[in-house]
Amino acid sequence: MRFAYVWRELTLRKRRHLTAILGLAVGIALLVILQALAGAYRQAARAPLAEIGADITIQRSGDVPQNLQGAVFPCSAVTIRQQEVEQISRMSGVRATGQALLLWVFDQEQFTMVLGIDPANSLGPGKLRNFVVKGRFLEGEGRQALVESTYAREKQIKVGEMVTILATSYPVVGLVDGSLASKIALANVYLPLAEAQALAVASPQIQGVSPFARGDVNLVFMKADQEAIPSLAVALKTALGDKTSVATPASFLRQLGNLFALSDKFASATSGIVMVVAFLMVFKTIAGGIQERAREIGVLKCLGWTSSNIKAQLLAESLALCLLAGLVGIGFAGLVCFGLSLQELQIPIPWEMNPTPHFLPGGGEPVFKTVRLPVQLSWPLIGLALMLALMVGAITSGLCIGRITRIKPSEVLRHE
Amino acid sequence: MNDPILAATDIRKTFGDIEVVKGVSVDLQPGEFVGLVGKSGSGKTTLMALLSGLERPTSGQTTLCGKDIGAATEDELALFRRATIGFIFQSFQLIPTLTAWENVAVPLFPEKMAEEERRERATSLLRQMEMEHRLDQLPGTLSGGEKQRVAIARALVNHPQIIFADEPTGNLDSHTGQAIMEILTTLHREQGLTILMVTHDLELSQSADRLLRMQDGALVP
Repeated sequence: MRFAYVWRELTLRKRRHLTAILGLAVGIALLVILQALAGAYRQAARAPLAEIGADITIQRSGDVPQNLQGAVFPCSAVTIRQQEVEQISRMSGVRATGQALLLWVFDQEQFTMVLGIDPANSLGPGKLRNFVVKGRFLEGEGRQALVESTYAREKQIKVGEMVTILATSYPVVGLVDGSLASKIALANVYLPLAEAQALAVASPQIQGVSPFARGDVNLVFMKADQEAIPSLAVALKTALGDKTSVATPASFLRQLGNLFALSDKFASATSGIVMVVAFLMVFKTIAGGIQERAREIGVLKCLGWTSSNIKAQLLAESLALCLLAGLVGIGFAGLVCFGLSLQELQIPIPWEMNPTPHFLPGGGEPVFKTVRLPVQLSWPLIGLALMLALMVGAITSGLCIGRITRIKPSEVLRHE
Repeated sequence: MNDPILAATDIRKTFGDIEVVKGVSVDLQPGEFVGLVGKSGSGKTTLMALLSGLERPTSGQTTLCGKDIGAATEDELALFRRATIGFIFQSFQLIPTLTAWENVAVPLFPEKMAEEERRERATSLLRQMEMEHRLDQLPGTLSGGEKQRVAIARALVNHPQIIFADEPTGNLDSHTGQAIMEILTTLHREQGLTILMVTHDLELSQSADRLLRMQDGALVP
């Protein structure tokens, strides 16, 4: 019965209520869209690291080798000492670490990117296990190689054959499709970490630029507590020095630059302004309604409605109006989010994380990770929007309570 | 003689510097039909508001159905009105968004009561008013006489001990006004309802058992 009264009151002053509903709906929709967009950017920024199962990657830049001969380090990834790895592994918030060794190998006019990986560790390039297209993944230690499938096709390398790196032959145990993996873990040939470390130790070019001992690496992958990531990034930089490059989801967000910053800052500021305007519109509607309905409120008081009964009625009307606005806003936001989710986003990979040297075709070009923008309406966001809409309803009717109390039952007789 | 259902002693009402009701004392016996007559601006509507607890007097005491209404809070008065009093207004004062039967049931909305029971009580009263064919009509589609029948049914829905009627025929043509007066007279005669009716129409006031004449804020013989 009360519901019928609430509903009819809403439909009586259609134009005014529709304006208030649309105003609040636009505010809610904008809030939801911008929040969803900001969330989508944050989620997208995790994609490059998430694909290698890490939250943080660590490298240290160094000098360019004098001669590009034999095994060299890319200048973006020089030695990280074993002791340093052990030290940072013990930092608070670190759940697990993985290591790798990236080498550029110049061998008789042939260039090979070699990545030494720990086959037993699924963190970092160990994720490549999921992208083996032929043969098997690396197992244990000993001489063996995994070859990237495109590179294998170019060089006509097959599983069971040998691949030679700096005069050492490694049996090819499998082929892996690197295009399915993150560009961060991209190489031509993958060796067990110990084999790659042996190549680095023996390289005068490497030792000349960045002394390297067995057990050292030049790439560290870290899994960490989400809330600890920002403070860990700072602590890692402090522990490993200024030349250390620490990549986190936040640093990928920075790579996204203005687009994200715009949506992130815009989200708070614009949503705030729109919500204030929407709130004022709803307030004006509710307050105006009370003013117009002074006689009706007087009649209700005459007929024995207490102030609480009338407040409950007006609260119900206000909540219904705002709930309707919230639902319309969420519906509209859902449509826009669906449209946005069809868009693709190119996340720039920082140059220092791009393993392809600048002198190779495509090496100097910016590298992007293309992802579908994961814009979606989460239940918490829908809940937040509805709660916000209901709060607007509750606050506006709360602010009007004084007006209701001031209306006297004898008001009705004055209008006779 | 029974205890009066309504007893007012020396009640006064001042708006600013103007004294609108000047020391009125009046008693109404249970089952009495009293007409309050006077010219426009004589203060009769204000007196009705004071006697029914819609307005608070500047001074004086009013006891209605055994309750000193001057000492009650606004909400206590509202609950008291809901349980004890029925109102009929000149302009009907129906809620435009509610149907005829819903308007009759408005005083019952705050009560914890099954929807069916509300509807049954409202429908039964509208049947008495020969309005059963208009139950689901909105006030905008009803004639003046039909609206006042709905308003009378609404005044009766809470089984009141007294009805205050403010110019109940004031917005109706004479024929319809006569029909409404017959309904009120029948209610008084058959159900023993106490009625205080404000009117400026001396002819209509002839239906009352007793007349109170008001002039310049005071009752005159």
